[in-house]
Amino acid sequence: MSGDVVLDVRDLRVSFSVRRAGRKYRVQAVDGASLSVVEGEVLGIVGESGCGKTTVGRSIVGLARPDSGAIRFKGADLIGAGGATLREMRLNVRMVFQDPYASLNPRRVIGDSVAEAGDINGMFGSRAERSAAIAATLTAVGLDPSFATRYPYELSGGQRQRAGIARAILPTPSVVIADEPVSALDVSVQAQVLNLMMDLREQLKLSMVFISHDLGVIGQISNRVAVMYMGRIVEQAGTRTVLDGPLHPYTRSLVAAIPRPDPSRRIVAAIEASEPPSQFARPRGCAYAARCPIASDRCLADVPQLRPAAEDGRLVACHNV
Amino acid sequence: MLSVRDLTVSLGSETAPVDIVAGVSFGLGKGEILGLVGESGCGKSMTSLAVMGLLPQPGPRLRAGKVLLEGCDVTQLQPWQRVEAGHGRIAMIFQEPMTSLNPVRRIGDQIAEAVRVHEGVSAAAALSRARELLEMVRMPDPAMQLSAYPHQLSGGQRQRVMIAIALACRPQVLIADEPTTALDVTIQVQILGLLRELCSRLEMAILFITHDMGVIAQLADRVSVMYAGRIVETAGVESLFGRPRHHYTRGLMDCMPSRNSGARRLPTIAGQPPAPGTVGAGCVFASRCAAVRESCRLAAPPRTEIAQGHEVLCAFPLDGGVAP
Repeated sequence: MSGDVVLDVRDLRVSFSVRRAGRKYRVQAVDGASLSVVEGEVLGIVGESGCGKTTVGRSIVGLARPDSGAIRFKGADLIGAGGATLREMRLNVRMVFQDPYASLNPRRVIGDSVAEAGDINGMFGSRAERSAAIAATLTAVGLDPSFATRYPYELSGGQRQRAGIARAILPTPSVVIADEPVSALDVSVQAQVLNLMMDLREQLKLSMVFISHDLGVIGQISNRVAVMYMGRIVEQAGTRTVLDGPLHPYTRSLVAAIPRPDPSRRIVAAIEASEPPSQFARPRGCAYAARCPIASDRCLADVPQLRPAAEDGRLVACHNV
Repeated sequence: MLSVRDLTVSLGSETAPVDIVAGVSFGLGKGEILGLVGESGCGKSMTSLAVMGLLPQPGPRLRAGKVLLEGCDVTQLQPWQRVEAGHGRIAMIFQEPMTSLNPVRRIGDQIAEAVRVHEGVSAAAALSRARELLEMVRMPDPAMQLSAYPHQLSGGQRQRVMIAIALACRPQVLIADEPTTALDVTIQVQILGLLRELCSRLEMAILFITHDMGVIAQLADRVSVMYAGRIVETAGVESLFGRPRHHYTRGLMDCMPSRNSGARRLPTIAGQPPAPGTVGAGCVFASRCAAVRESCRLAAPPRTEIAQGHEVLCAFPLDGGVAP
């Protein structure tokens, strides 16, 4: 897919201060991540808990404060932006959260939550115009307009997530950051919400960053995938390229671990325990080295940089592939 | 070895009970893994709690049915009788180990406590057995970890501790209720591999409860699919995934993203499961079934053995053409 880059993230670093046992630690949640989203595409970010994928998403919408790096929306830097630029970008880059129950105000009716961004920006000329906009948006996400006067607790999980999506598309943005939007849902409902997101993307010409731990879901919705491990992107390429022929050893183990509804792929007994290193004691070299079957001495000393690994635009951060 | 017959768990009054588990039956043999799969609210966790005798009080109650462990109906026993007579050799592990472990006690003491309850040995003997159990669950550095507190362990390690505690009573049956749902996939395969290993090494049967069809396919020997409090289909894993006969089972498989790679849209199952108490005389799946006929809404479907070891609760089952 070629087109204009709408969102460009360069060398993003984000750290948090954490207090443990009376001592202060800095946890480097994102450690130099770069990615870009081309107009109309869905970029998937996949990784396991604590890899920094959510922090990347929150940094883009301004909910986390980066230490360094650049986040450009249509060329304008969002870090440190203020006033009109910030307002404009907040309408254009919107977020859908994982748990729609926690992210919808329980004491406000759905209609008010959906219209909030429009209200703040004085978008609606009259009450009638506001109601019409809410009704149209609810219809677009497959909810009856009567849901406008209901409270979140009256909705099922799938309906709540539809409301969460409605809130992110009024007024219509350019980019939607979706952070695990279907992880809390049952598979049959998950399929409905994924279909909705694919439809909206087409109708509203959205670009999307889709964050998930689930490679199956990522494979369904995204055009390209970035795989994260311990705050860094370790592999980035077209979705099929990554899923069908992962190159980085971490991506390989991740793809192999996806549960598949295929009884011929039995779980084999006794896999040696192997877990990511502690966030408080990052290894000096490659963060995956301790778990990696092809690690060499160099991996323990040098952090591998993301570099082109094939002519098809695939990027891999590994010394040994 | 374990045989569950017509298990019915109800809410509400004696005179107007609302069945949240309605006549569930299954059997479990030595060294076998039976997967119980279904979506939220289908009654799979209530089934497991009823088998364990752990239904929350007050609340749902066991209205009918038997749980036979080697011929003895354990639902008729008091909890202390289950422990003393060795009839309680059913152990259970849960989704979130952090809520099941005591946060202010060392894990060695917590495992040793379970050992002492079941074996009545000295504190020192219990602690050395605790170490053995940690080795058995492949905990890295078991001797050191005996003195760790739960918060010092990762999610996967905590689940290993829970399994060690469950093994303290030398169970014949282990009930695992979504034990890997909170874990990352690369950790999940390690825990599933461990359960598979323990199952054959200890000749222990496992009832594995999950919402994840992928996990079930790769781990279970046989599978029961649950919907609205009922088991709608039971079969060997090859048979179930190769030739699903119930429309709900087929629907569940079709809407999995990993089964549809490249498809533009995912097939979905229209509607939502019925609320407990709103189930009428007909088939529980009738309101969502694509192949529903008028008679399905009127009379409950028969349970038929459609092929060797393949049971389905449907009047008009799929003919079982190979699923895509």
